[in-house]
Amino acid sequence: MLRTIFCTASRSNVIMTKARTRAASTLVSRRFIMAMNSNTQSIMRPMAVSMRFYSADTAAPKLNKDEVTRRVVDVIKAFSKGSTNPTVAGTTDVNADTLFHKDLGLDSLDTVELLVAVEEEFDIEIPDKVADELKSVGETIDYIVSNADAN
Amino acid sequence: MTAAIAPTRRQVLSLYKQFIKNANQFNNFNFREYFLRKSRASFKQNSTIQDAEKLSKLYQDAKNDLSALKRQSVISQMYTFDKLVVEPVDKEERKDINKH
Amino acid sequence: MLRYTATPFLRLSSSSCAASLASRRTLPSLVSRSNIIIPNTKNKRLYSAVAATSPAVKVAKDISLETHTDTQRAAKETQEARSAAATTPLSKSSIIDEIDTSGTTALNAAYQENTGFGTRPIYMDMQATTPTDPRVLDTMLKFLTGLYGNPHSNTHSYGWETHKEVEDARDHVAKLIGANAKEIIFTSGATESNNMVIKGVSRFYKNTKKHIITTRTEHKCVLEAARAMINEGFEVTFLNVDEQGLINLKELEDAIRPDTCLVSVMAVNNEIGVIQPLKEIGNICKKKKVYFHTDAAQAYGKIKLDVNDMNIDLLSISSHKIYGPMGIGGLYVRRRPRVRLEPLLSGGGQERGLRSGTLAPPLVAGFGRAAKLMYDEFESDHEHIKRLSDKLVKGLLALDHTNLNGSADHRYPGCVNVSFAYVEGESLLMALRDIALSSGSACTSASLEPSYVLHALGRDDVLAHSSIRFGIGRFTTEKEVDYVIKAISERVQFLRNLSPLWEMVQEGIDLDSIEWSGH
Repeated sequence: MLRTIFCTASRSNVIMTKARTRAASTLVSRRFIMAMNSNTQSIMRPMAVSMRFYSADTAAPKLNKDEVTRRVVDVIKAFSKGSTNPTVAGTTDVNADTLFHKDLGLDSLDTVELLVAVEEEFDIEIPDKVADELKSVGETIDYIVSNADAN
Repeated sequence: MTAAIAPTRRQVLSLYKQFIKNANQFNNFNFREYFLRKSRASFKQNSTIQDAEKLSKLYQDAKNDLSALKRQSVISQMYTFDKLVVEPVDKEERKDINKH
Repeated sequence: MLRYTATPFLRLSSSSCAASLASRRTLPSLVSRSNIIIPNTKNKRLYSAVAATSPAVKVAKDISLETHTDTQRAAKETQEARSAAATTPLSKSSIIDEIDTSGTTALNAAYQENTGFGTRPIYMDMQATTPTDPRVLDTMLKFLTGLYGNPHSNTHSYGWETHKEVEDARDHVAKLIGANAKEIIFTSGATESNNMVIKGVSRFYKNTKKHIITTRTEHKCVLEAARAMINEGFEVTFLNVDEQGLINLKELEDAIRPDTCLVSVMAVNNEIGVIQPLKEIGNICKKKKVYFHTDAAQAYGKIKLDVNDMNIDLLSISSHKIYGPMGIGGLYVRRRPRVRLEPLLSGGGQERGLRSGTLAPPLVAGFGRAAKLMYDEFESDHEHIKRLSDKLVKGLLALDHTNLNGSADHRYPGCVNVSFAYVEGESLLMALRDIALSSGSACTSASLEPSYVLHALGRDDVLAHSSIRFGIGRFTTEKEVDYVIKAISERVQFLRNLSPLWEMVQEGIDLDSIEWSGH
C-alpha cells in the first residue's frame, strides 16, 4: 500500500514538470501550474526522502551527455550575460574544461548561484557535499548525467 | 556564555543557496529582484569578515531573515498579480533575464 | 543520498506554510484514495495529485490564484469620471478627449501588448505611497494571527506581550531621528500629525501668541490646517520660495515676530523633492525661541535627520512612505524643553494624553519594522536610489526642451520632477498607462489644476501643466528605469508631433511673439 503511494507521488512529480516544460498554451493555466507547482513541491518534500528508496534502483540515466552539455552551457551563458562582473560577463567560450573560478572568474557565492540555475534547469537538488566539489563545467555535466532525477 | 562558534564555509554557502532559491520564488517582480540583489550584496559584503563572534551573530541573524523570506515567498505565490510590462510572461524566458 | 537537505530549522519554518499544514491533515485520506488517481496519469492536472484528495485544496484546484488587475478599465473609468466632473473650460477636456482618441491607435503600438510581456504598469509613484515590504508584512502577520492582545491591558500576558512589541516599535521609530522613544506619539498618519501640531500648538498658546509661519510649497494638510487657524483669529505668513524651491532664511528670520508661536517648514517636498535647509531653520527658531515643526513625511528615513542636531521640536512621520502599512504615522514631540500642545482627540489619555484611542498593534509593529529597515538599509537604499535617479534624470533631460524642476543640489534623489515643454502633462499621463506616474500630489491630481508647488517656483501654467513626477524607491529596478526612459522619449515625441505649438517651435517661430485670440 505504502509503495503505491510513493510511486504515485514520484510519478506525478515527473509528470508535473513535463506538463510545465511542454507549456500549457494558455497564459492562465501556465500561471496556475507555476503557482500550484510550488505548493505541491512543498507538500511533497517530507515524502521525498523515503520516495528515493523506491525509485533509485529502477531508474537509469535518462539524459545523454551531449544534451546535458548543451543545456549546461546555455545556462552558463545566460548566467554570465546578466552578470555585473566584467570577467564573467565577457565569457563567450564555454566548454567541458572550463573552470568556474579560474576561467569564469566566479567566486564561491557566484558558483552557488550558478548551480542553483543548473538545479532549476534540470529539476534536481545538488547536495551541498557534492556542490562543494564541483569545480568545472565537465564535473557538473558528469554529475547531472549520473543523476537519475535530472530531466 | 560560551564563546561563539563561527559557521563553517559550507554552512554559509548552504545558507546563501537558500536565500537565492527563496528570493527566486517571489512572484512579485520587484520583491524578487530586490531580495536577490540584497542577498548578493550582503553576503559579498560580509565575505571578508574573520571575527568568529561577528560571524556567528551574522549567521544567526541571517537564519532569522531566511525564515521570514521563506514565509513571504510563499505568501507572494498565494497572492499573485498580473505580470509587469517589463516582465516576460513565459517562465523560461524569465530564467535568462533573471540572472544578475 | 538525500534529495532535500533541509536543516531542522528550515523544516520548522516551512511547517508554518498553510499548504504543508493542509497536506498533513489530508494524509490519511490520501492512503484510501491513491488507487483512484493512478488511471488518470494522462491528466496534466495531476500535479495536484496529493492536493486533490483534500476537500479544502480541491476547491483551490479550480480557482485561479491570480488576482487580475484591469488597468485598462480602471483608466477608462477614471477618465470618464474626470471629464464628467471637469469644471475646467470645455476646451481642455475636449483636448484631452481628442488626444486620447486620436492617440489610441498610435499608442497601442507603443503599448506593449502580446509581446510576451505582462500588462501591469510599472510603479513610479513612490511619493504617493510605497509597496509594503514583505518583511514588514511578516511582522504584522504575527499580530493579525496570534498576538491580538490590547497593548493597554495590563492585567494579563496578552496585553503585556503586545505592549512590549509596541514599545519596541516606538524605539525603532525614534532611533531613526535621534529621538527618545518617549517623544514619539503614534497617530493615524502625517496628515493627523500635521493637524495636531498646527492646531494643537497654536491653540495651547492662543492667549499670548497669534502668529504662525509656513511656506507656500507645504503639503495641503499643512496649508489647510493653517487656513483653519486664520478662522480662529491667527495670522499666518506663507513664505515664498525661490525658483529652486528653497525658502529664504533672511525672509524667515524677518517674518518671526514676538507673538509667533510656530514655524512649519517641510523637510522634503512631495512634488519636487527639494530639501529645505533644516539645520539653519532650526537655529533661527532656537535663537528666536519659536517652535520649529517639520513635515518629514517624504524625508523620514530617506535623508539624515537628527532632531537634536537640527533643533527640530516637532516632526511628522508617515509609515506608508517608508514601505510600512497605511493608516499609521507618528509625531515627534520634544520633551526637553517641553513642547505643549492641545490634543485633537479627548479620551482615555493614551500616548501621553496627546492622542487618545487604542493603538493598532499590527500597524504600529509594521511601522516599527519599516523604520528599523530604513535604518539598517539606509546606505544601500540610498546608493541604489541615487544610481537609478541619476540614470533617469540623464535619460530624460537628453530630450529637447525638458528641464528638472527644483534645486538640483538640495534634492532627495528618489523624487524627480521633470517638465516636458509643448506636451500636456495630463495627456502624457494618459499616454503612459503602462507606467504609474503622477503630475503632482495624489491629493490634487483629482483636479486638473496645475500644481501650486510649481506655481510657487515661478513656473508658468503651461510648464506646470506639462510636469511629471517620477518616484524611485527601494524596490525600483534598473530594468524599469530603462523602460521608463524609452517609453517617455517615444511618447513625448509622439505627442509633440500632434502639437501645433511644437510645429511652430520647429519652424523657429517665437511663441511669445504670437498674439493669441481669446475664446
